[in-house]
Amino acid sequence: MPSTTAPPDIELIIEDIGGGGGRGKPPAGGDDGGDSGPGGKGGGNRPRPSPPSSRRYYTGMALGIVSILMFFMALASAFLVRRGTSLDWVPVRLPPVLLVNTLILLSSSLTLELARRRLGQTDLGGFRTLWSVTTGLGLLFLLGQLIAWRQLVSAGVFIASNPASSFFFIFTGLHALHLFGGVGALLYVALRKFELAKISRSVAAEITSYYWHFMDALWVFLLALLYLGR
Amino acid sequence: MDTNDSGATYPKTPQPGFLSRSVFSTNHKTIGLQYLWLALLSVFLGMALSLLMRIHLVWPGAHIPFFSDLGDLPERYAALIVLHGSLMVFMVLTAAPQAGFGNYFLPLQIGAREMAFPTLNLFSFWATATSLLGITAAFFLQQELGVTVWLTSVALFCAASLFTAFNFTVTVLDLRAKGMTLSRLPLTAWAWFLTAILAALIFSILLAACVLLLSDRVLGTHFFAITAAFSAPISSFAAPGVPVTWQRLFWFFAQAEVYVAMLPCFGIATHLLATFARKPVWKERAVVLALCAVGVFGFCIWGQHMFASGMNPYSPLVFALLASSLGLPALVLLFSWLGTLWNAKIQLTTSMLFVLGFISLFMAGGLSGIFLARQDLAAAAVSDDFITGHFHLVMGVAATFAILGALFFWFPKLFGRRLNEPLGKLHFWLTFAGVYAVFMPMHWLGLISHTRVSSVSQLQAVTTLGADLRAFITVASILTIAAQGIFLFNFLASLLRGEKADVQNPWRATTLEWSIASPPPFDDFGPCDPVVYRGAYEFSLPDVAEDFVPQHLAPEQVAKVR
Repeated sequence: MPSTTAPPDIELIIEDIGGGGGRGKPPAGGDDGGDSGPGGKGGGNRPRPSPPSSRRYYTGMALGIVSILMFFMALASAFLVRRGTSLDWVPVRLPPVLLVNTLILLSSSLTLELARRRLGQTDLGGFRTLWSVTTGLGLLFLLGQLIAWRQLVSAGVFIASNPASSFFFIFTGLHALHLFGGVGALLYVALRKFELAKISRSVAAEITSYYWHFMDALWVFLLALLYLGR
Repeated sequence: MDTNDSGATYPKTPQPGFLSRSVFSTNHKTIGLQYLWLALLSVFLGMALSLLMRIHLVWPGAHIPFFSDLGDLPERYAALIVLHGSLMVFMVLTAAPQAGFGNYFLPLQIGAREMAFPTLNLFSFWATATSLLGITAAFFLQQELGVTVWLTSVALFCAASLFTAFNFTVTVLDLRAKGMTLSRLPLTAWAWFLTAILAALIFSILLAACVLLLSDRVLGTHFFAITAAFSAPISSFAAPGVPVTWQRLFWFFAQAEVYVAMLPCFGIATHLLATFARKPVWKERAVVLALCAVGVFGFCIWGQHMFASGMNPYSPLVFALLASSLGLPALVLLFSWLGTLWNAKIQLTTSMLFVLGFISLFMAGGLSGIFLARQDLAAAAVSDDFITGHFHLVMGVAATFAILGALFFWFPKLFGRRLNEPLGKLHFWLTFAGVYAVFMPMHWLGLISHTRVSSVSQLQAVTTLGADLRAFITVASILTIAAQGIFLFNFLASLLRGEKADVQNPWRATTLEWSIASPPPFDDFGPCDPVVYRGAYEFSLPDVAEDFVPQHLAPEQVAKVR
């Protein structure tokens, strides 16, 4: 439906101008009276409530990413300490399908950026196609991880087999859980009727893209850790 | 992150229906009050548990109705400690000053009307409430299942705290009213903000540790429990059988958690001190820097809890240095408090008494912390009782005093009535004497348990002294807890039929929450957004008629001295 395009983006620009707390020029401070500050006697012309700005979503996502990073760093440090202090470590042979999965995930980040570019050019049809491709690639990655799990299980490597296999399943499982949330966000952006929402489509798409790229980079880090720390 | 978090549109009107208005409300004031009720319930539950422990220590055979019927396995006593600790630390010290008072007063103080993500806030509260239910239920379940339920509840609390932390940080950064620059932010808001950042970092660590431990218990992995056959090699610094990995993760969280509990209390104490001393906060900017420094140092000293469990021989020195440097920001705070009090016309309300009590307890407890921060002293000179006394003074009761001070201060705003002052003062003095009588002897107990004895008579003397001290502590704690009945009576009686707070600003305070009616209307500031014209602590200015200038007063509205 390329006809219904522009409104969300215009909305975004307007919202950003109306940005939030404390950033506006502060009224004249101090107590040297006689300053022609805003607000006459009785505060008659105090500002009407402005529509909430979308900046909070960016800040919130930034904080969420930092928190998730701390979560996985805690796991990674547990991995390193456990690896260094035990004799019961049996290295896991990483299934080759993980490489394919990695490529799938990396390319999903690429299609996500292309989709957002289409949205910027107000080409909603192209956006929808590429966005769906991204969602599909994300689901394909999750399927690929499941295949990797099944290959390990059929090779007799279970989560409780030894610390190395435990960490493999915990890392991949928790990452998949977080990525599943990312797929949910992708579906939300694709299916939400943004005419009714407080947040515009391009803001939602941008925030989702931050999360998705972060999940992408996190996976590369985890894979490197699992490979180098065998 | 939930991007579909919708606040109500403006202007807000009270939603109909009891459930959506009072129980599952997204209004920050309702949620803040709910947290406070939760903390009140938990603090009395936690006190009852500590009473059980004290009685059990001194009169082990005593029959306690209901509790003794649960059986007398040794694990019961361990369960008491775990339950007491998790209720007090999570549901009281973490929830009350931050999520309780913070949810209610942060948006009011910065003129925000709402938290950044109200729906997420609603989720946080109910996750916390569920977690409280789970932690309590775990006590009554069969042991193996009980530990798993407890652990799941703690993980849930971590998730709830993370979302609360996001909400607080984003609210302070993005939702401040016009004119509310960072330098005009009340110190309470600063403290809530810094606490939220710290909480966002550390609760994910505890969550990760809980996930690994749950996996150990449910999925049969061995992340922490190294089986005897595979215990650590000689070359490793870790003592065999010690779950060092768990200790690292846990203390990384838990040491910083102390500051998650204490930072809001520092903010509240400084704020109340300035209000009741009728003076600006002395060196306000230094206080903000000190609060930041507490957060940063507190984040880096987890290792001081692991002096005894084996680590690289050089690292204790680093941790000891970092832990000792926490004294610097603490000193800055102390000097600011003293500087604010200097030459002040102090109004000794109950609220102010509790703040002064907070300072006294924080200093008394902090002094013993200097011993514990040194790896050599901590390992050699003191035992568990010393540490118990130390952290109960500095973290437990000090923070509780700040919470009580805040409650007496904000009660008129919360409920439109005032707490009874004479009863409050009686409660203060009894509690103040009581907590010193309980926790000071614990330091002594900790010191004498390492006494070197060279004869049987000396050993007997030390043992008798220890037993006497324990009995004294138990009697003192029974009396102190009994004194809390005064508070409970005062709270409930004042809630129902206390003196009406007929003015909206009874303490003549400066911040925005006092510019609106008590209790605040559903939409806080009404149809117009507040505007801030000045800093938060403009007390006793030289050429102004009143001894305080509220933040929302425009320069031309300030009445001058004729």
